[in-house]
Amino acid sequence: MLQIEIDHLNKHYGGFHALKDVNISIKQGSFVALVGPSGCGKSTLLRTLAGLEKTSSGDVRIAGRSVIGKPPRERDVAMVFQSYALYPHMDVEHNMNYSMRLKRRPKEEISERTRTAAETLGLGNLLDRLPKALSGGQRQRVAMGRAIVRNPKVFLFDEPLSNLDAALRVHMRSEIRKLHERLNATSVYVTHDQVEAMTMADHVVVMRAGVVEQQGSPLDLYDRPANRFVAGFIGSPAMNFLPATVTDNGALVLDNDSTQIGLNRDIAAGCQFWIGMRPEHLSLKPCVNDMAIDATVTGIESTGSMTFVVLEVASQPVVLAHSGRPVTRRGDHVRLHISLDNLHLFDRETELAA
Amino acid sequence: MQGIIRTIRDGSGFDILLLGLALLYLIIFSAFPIVYNIIMSLQTVDMFTLTSFNRPFVGLQNYYDIFSQPVAGTIFWNTVKFVFLSIVFQLSIGFGLALFFQQDFPGASYLRGLFLAGWIMPALVVGAIWKWLFAGDFGVINYALTSLGIADDRIFWLSDPNVALYAVIIANIWLGIPFNMILLSVGLASIPRDVYEAAELDGAGAFERFRSITLPLMRAQLGAVISLGVIFTLQQFDLIAALTQGGPADSSNVAQYWSWQFSFQTYEISLGSAVSVLMIIFVIVVAAVYVRSTRHEHSY
Ligand SMILES: Nc1ncnc2c1ncn2[C@@H]1O[C@H](COP(=O)(O)OP(=O)(O)OP(=O)(O)O)[C@@H](O)[C@H]1O
Ligand SMILES: [Mg+2]
Repeated sequence: MLQIEIDHLNKHYGGFHALKDVNISIKQGSFVALVGPSGCGKSTLLRTLAGLEKTSSGDVRIAGRSVIGKPPRERDVAMVFQSYALYPHMDVEHNMNYSMRLKRRPKEEISERTRTAAETLGLGNLLDRLPKALSGGQRQRVAMGRAIVRNPKVFLFDEPLSNLDAALRVHMRSEIRKLHERLNATSVYVTHDQVEAMTMADHVVVMRAGVVEQQGSPLDLYDRPANRFVAGFIGSPAMNFLPATVTDNGALVLDNDSTQIGLNRDIAAGCQFWIGMRPEHLSLKPCVNDMAIDATVTGIESTGSMTFVVLEVASQPVVLAHSGRPVTRRGDHVRLHISLDNLHLFDRETELAA
Repeated sequence: MQGIIRTIRDGSGFDILLLGLALLYLIIFSAFPIVYNIIMSLQTVDMFTLTSFNRPFVGLQNYYDIFSQPVAGTIFWNTVKFVFLSIVFQLSIGFGLALFFQQDFPGASYLRGLFLAGWIMPALVVGAIWKWLFAGDFGVINYALTSLGIADDRIFWLSDPNVALYAVIIANIWLGIPFNMILLSVGLASIPRDVYEAAELDGAGAFERFRSITLPLMRAQLGAVISLGVIFTLQQFDLIAALTQGGPADSSNVAQYWSWQFSFQTYEISLGSAVSVLMIIFVIVVAAVYVRSTRHEHSY
């Protein structure tokens, strides 16, 4: 069953076109991540779903009913803000049960549901603290608690983890995901961190400048990026791109070098491409169906379990990733082996995958 | 000598110097006049003893004399009405306007700026303008009221003992609105927008947001504006001087103007001092409430 349908949605701020013909369908129970660089319209889209922002044209349906023109409180959605937006004058308990108090629920129900939520989030002994007496991580959990006591149809998260330190962020990622499963909720999660999107979501929507560039399952985006932007955005370290041109005799040749890439595809002469190679599909050792090029090592970064080698290939920087410790040193001349099965081609004119 | 200069330039000497200057200022211009005023209120002071410090001590006699004046009751109630009505209307209209200008509409900030006009004008000038507006025979207010059919007859705003006080209060309210509006606008602007948005998502309507978010978060500012308003209202002198001089027959007279009349019109300086001491005590109580209220400020 579809929980949220966004249908040809447009949003203008005065003369600025912030969302351009956005179409997204979200199944009940799924976890959707909206990713993209800063200013691409992720928050705008989320706030439009919440009803905090008016739409210019198009339709938004939640549980089958159009919510255009409806105020936030008639949409049954809960939102966790990046700044948490806790009520500064209310203690944790009152922050969490504000919505139930507004609805004048019975006292027992209010305290029961507040307690359950507080225990779920490990806030049990903080109920009478004011927000200013909480750490960032605790505030974040209060903001989540405020959302879950409402038991809404849809959870919206706007970069909820961006103010936390790295370790807590990784921890909260899995907590949020677990919570999502336990509540059997539908969640829309905004982040500019593609790792967060890839690890948490069932469905990832990549946006740029108000346009949905591609959407699909995380591995789908990883394996079959629709254009150069998505290819470069998804995956860490990012995909390498080398310019290449098709010669008159149909061979694909690197621009700054005369190395021929032996691709058996039918392409017209003169076409210009970006050849996309993920760092983990490059190797210093021969592999199946590969070709080799000369390269120079210009830098090495090691995290202990993984090593990233920066190489210069045809006077372009290329990053290679392999597991384990470094096997080369800066300045070494090596043979770079490219796995031909995992190459991506993007038209240099349209940036679309070829 | 060298050492002293060095501590003043680099060390704690500089802090002490700054502190000393501030203290000196307070002692000369605040503490001394207040103490001197209190002393005078306990002595018999008239034109002849004004210049000497050695005056007969009379204890609380001056205070007794004030309360036995026949107009004391009128002036007390006039002062209460003057302060209470001024504050209530300044605050509610000022708060209303602050909330109104908080809505983003074209020209909001220019319009808000215009409201400051009343504030930057001297109260004497404002008094002169209101005197014209209130004028019985050619005043704009009477013209408006009669031509709109609200009043049948002309109201003699400044010479009718039943309305003179209210005329002064109306002018004072007008004068105080910008101050209230600006201070409360600053308070409103400091409440983060997303707190309101969170409340909206939690299901709060406009009134509920005002009651459970705006009001509690504005507590400190409201306390400050009310206490400062009381203090300013008790200091309001120019407006009364320009409009009614407390008349007719003390019907619009208030404590601060009465004190001035004692001291500088009838030269019963000790009585004037006694009235002002009573006002000081009241203002200290209000100031204490104000200081307490600023402790409740929230951090976001
Ligand atoms: N109220 C507004 N008026 C005009 N333009 C706006 C307004 N709000 C946002 N924008 C513009 O819309 C675009 C999208 O903004 P949005 O906040 O959705 O970005 P975002 O993807 O959430 O970015 P970030 O990752 O930095 O939070 C931006 O270019 C921004 O300048
Ligand atoms: Mg954003």
